[in-house]
Amino acid sequence: MDFISNSSHQQKEMLRIIGVSSIDELFKSIPSAILQSSIALDDGLSESEGMQKMEAIAAMNTYPAFDSYLGGGAYEHHVPAIVGAICAKSEFLTAYTPYQPEVSQGMLQVIFEFQSVICALTGMYAGNASLYDGASACAEAALMALRVQTPKRKLLISASLHPSYKDVIRQYAEFAASEIIEIPFNDSLTIDESQYESLLDDKTAAVIIQSPNVFGCIENTPLLFEKAHANDSLAVQCGNPLAYGIFHSPSHAKADIAVGDCQPLGLPLNFGGPYVGYITCTQELLRQLPGRIVGETVDTEGRRGFVLTLQAREQHIRREKATSNVCTNQALAALASLVAILWYGKTGLPKLALTNYQRAAYLRHSLAKLPHFTVINNDSSFNEFVITSSKPIDTVLKHFRQAGIIAGFPLKEWFPSMENSLLLCATEMKSKSQLDRYVEVASQC
Amino acid sequence: MLTAFEKSQKGQRSYSLPKEDSAWTNYHPPHNLLRETPPPLPEISEIDLTRHFSQLARRNMGIDTNFYPLGSCTMKLNPRVNEWCASLPSFQRSHPLAPSDTVQGNLYVIYHLLQLLCQITGMHTGSLSPNAGAQGELTGIKMIAAFHAHNNDSGRNEMLVPDNAHGTNPATAAMVGYKIIVLHTTPDGDIDLEQLRSLAGPKTAGLMLTNPNTLGLFSSKILEIANIVHSAGGLLYYDGANLNAILEIARPGQMGFDVMHLNLHKTFSTPHGGGGPGSGPVLCNEKLSPFLPLPLIHKSNDSFLPVPSSPLSIGRIASFFGNFAIYLRAYLYSILHGRYGLRRIAENAVLNANYLKKLLGNLFTDPYPQHFCMHEFVLQADKFPNIKALDIAKRLLDYNFHAPTIYFPLIIKECLLIEPTESESKNTLDSFLSAVLAIHTECTQNPELLKNAPLLQPVSRLNEVQAARHPKLTTFH
Repeated sequence: MDFISNSSHQQKEMLRIIGVSSIDELFKSIPSAILQSSIALDDGLSESEGMQKMEAIAAMNTYPAFDSYLGGGAYEHHVPAIVGAICAKSEFLTAYTPYQPEVSQGMLQVIFEFQSVICALTGMYAGNASLYDGASACAEAALMALRVQTPKRKLLISASLHPSYKDVIRQYAEFAASEIIEIPFNDSLTIDESQYESLLDDKTAAVIIQSPNVFGCIENTPLLFEKAHANDSLAVQCGNPLAYGIFHSPSHAKADIAVGDCQPLGLPLNFGGPYVGYITCTQELLRQLPGRIVGETVDTEGRRGFVLTLQAREQHIRREKATSNVCTNQALAALASLVAILWYGKTGLPKLALTNYQRAAYLRHSLAKLPHFTVINNDSSFNEFVITSSKPIDTVLKHFRQAGIIAGFPLKEWFPSMENSLLLCATEMKSKSQLDRYVEVASQC
Repeated sequence: MLTAFEKSQKGQRSYSLPKEDSAWTNYHPPHNLLRETPPPLPEISEIDLTRHFSQLARRNMGIDTNFYPLGSCTMKLNPRVNEWCASLPSFQRSHPLAPSDTVQGNLYVIYHLLQLLCQITGMHTGSLSPNAGAQGELTGIKMIAAFHAHNNDSGRNEMLVPDNAHGTNPATAAMVGYKIIVLHTTPDGDIDLEQLRSLAGPKTAGLMLTNPNTLGLFSSKILEIANIVHSAGGLLYYDGANLNAILEIARPGQMGFDVMHLNLHKTFSTPHGGGGPGSGPVLCNEKLSPFLPLPLIHKSNDSFLPVPSSPLSIGRIASFFGNFAIYLRAYLYSILHGRYGLRRIAENAVLNANYLKKLLGNLFTDPYPQHFCMHEFVLQADKFPNIKALDIAKRLLDYNFHAPTIYFPLIIKECLLIEPTESESKNTLDSFLSAVLAIHTECTQNPELLKNAPLLQPVSRLNEVQAARHPKLTTFH
């Protein structure tokens, strides 16, 4: 099947007007050496056949039948039903980048409101909806810092930052940074402050710290950022925006740039994407923000309206001198996140964050009572934490699998020295009976 | 229109949360870590929230509501069966760190979509993980850099980029540390081979090209261009933004390109969603395959396994597997069409564009009347001294058409870049022609109308200078 509207009669009429006898003639500028011959009718599917095929492929996934405790940068949360309904509206779904603001006020206002709710959570001055995920947001923050900190070329990134985020920072900053150094973490899985101090030097353009970090721990960002500023380095905080519903925001710690991934707020897991990154900064750094920014203005009648603004930074105008190559608005994902954040609102979001904290805390405290598990994180961990088993982790995981549970993520895949450790996550989606059953299965290990 | 913040009413709410249990309400985070006041978010009921977004939707134009001939953006139908597929719970609820034996369906889609894209482009292999076209470009250019580094060919610090290239091309090459060498377009709309010969040399890392280019023209000299760049030791990068024009007609692999990206949201009909999310798979020939980003998906005995490392890989470009839910849409779209259906896409996209070019070329200046265009074409709206391309674009909005791309490519004066796509019918194109004809008449009879347009939209022309001079970027400042 296809989605062509022209009938063969219409095609003939158009060819007549163009003045050719066949469509093939329109391709005459393509050298014959590379021109494919025309294809006979073949193997397309009907809509129903295509749907049956996709259902069969979906059925190959056994994962949804398990009770899963995976986190590690992608989280199982409730997506309010209103989110899907709003995102399915064709005026949002099928629009493009708002190049014509007069007929794009809906999406422009959505982005303006997204910028506003993200700034409400992070406490920062300005932000946008242009970045793909938390990893690219971190990487763009690194490039932003290197742009303003010339000639400083060194980046300090916390070893407790999500390993993929570290990889993507290295990927993006390879040609802009002279060196990228990891700040080690200590036994309580937070940054080792004395080593941090010894790594900070006059070549350090910025420090990039995740809090809550990849293990779920809140880092002492006020202290770490104070030291960064004393060294004239910029401070970048990466963090789960849901945590800022109850915990101090990056602006409290005086971050210069705050970044992260909005997946926990309104976006399904989707096997890793699409998500939407957020990037926010202080007023001083505004003109270094990569990507598209929406601003408020007025029309000729004095009515309020919204436009893409500060475009002189962007690739379509500045080309090789642009702040970034970012061309996208991650607008539809940002819309999903905006709707979810507004649905929870001023009172709901703190409660949701607290619920997440408490369910993970309940599981953590319950597991701590078992003889062959050690719980690493303290009470400052948000909705995920680390346990270490006295038995081989593969045996433990297998035992849980047999009980229908995916127990968590084996950290040795990211940190080889953490041989028998498991990163596990409990959100508002876990009932008490599920958590109790986890503990029961753990006790039988 | 009021913002959600302005519609907030104290005490209103939409949310519900699972019941609390004393088993966990005893646990409290350390006091010193807690924010003193709740985040300054609105309080708003679900009915008000629903109406808020419904009102916003009415102030937005999409493909489903209006013809959207935005050049270089390929605004084709987004079939709803794609959305159905992406919402299947088994896909939506799968976690990217899940054990691979529990997500074989997802890995099947990633593996087979890649195979399909390789067939379509004539490339050897690739990776789906880049999250957008621009990230795909970054990945491809980094692979070129890695290739030269691997061959100890360290003097190659220049990237050739035509003056009509998408802005992402020079921006991307600059991110990888390359000096941008601009190639000028000939009056014929093609690369100047003499200039290319004089610029290609031991410093050339590569050439970034889209073919058809952003003028809508296919370069007949492509094999010669490839030969010049390869002879100089450089590599050829294909910007796949314009692939819609040549599906099952010609393949970048056969044109001599070494590495390329695709824009799934364009060619493969995944919704543009106000600008994203997109997806920008990168594809390459055998020479560059060792440098592909991670993870790679391998197949053995009918099961699929992500391979987390590879000695020469440039490394990760995204946190997990990229924009998986976009792959689902693109994969279903491809298998529904089959090869013949894909060819019909290109044929009708090119037919529609040439039909409009033929009839509009009489009203405005057609800089390339001697050529058939591919899926898009440029016009110069410079016949009327006081009327700008911008004015025509704004007036089109009043006729309920989205405007074409304007002022791009930068090398065409008062440029309109028009791309109708294959999913539109002659009838729609004829309505569009009638509107442009009416506007053309207004250009002489009532130019003020154009200067003040749009007149029939929720807002009239917006003050962009004020927005940039006094940025108000959130509700708080």
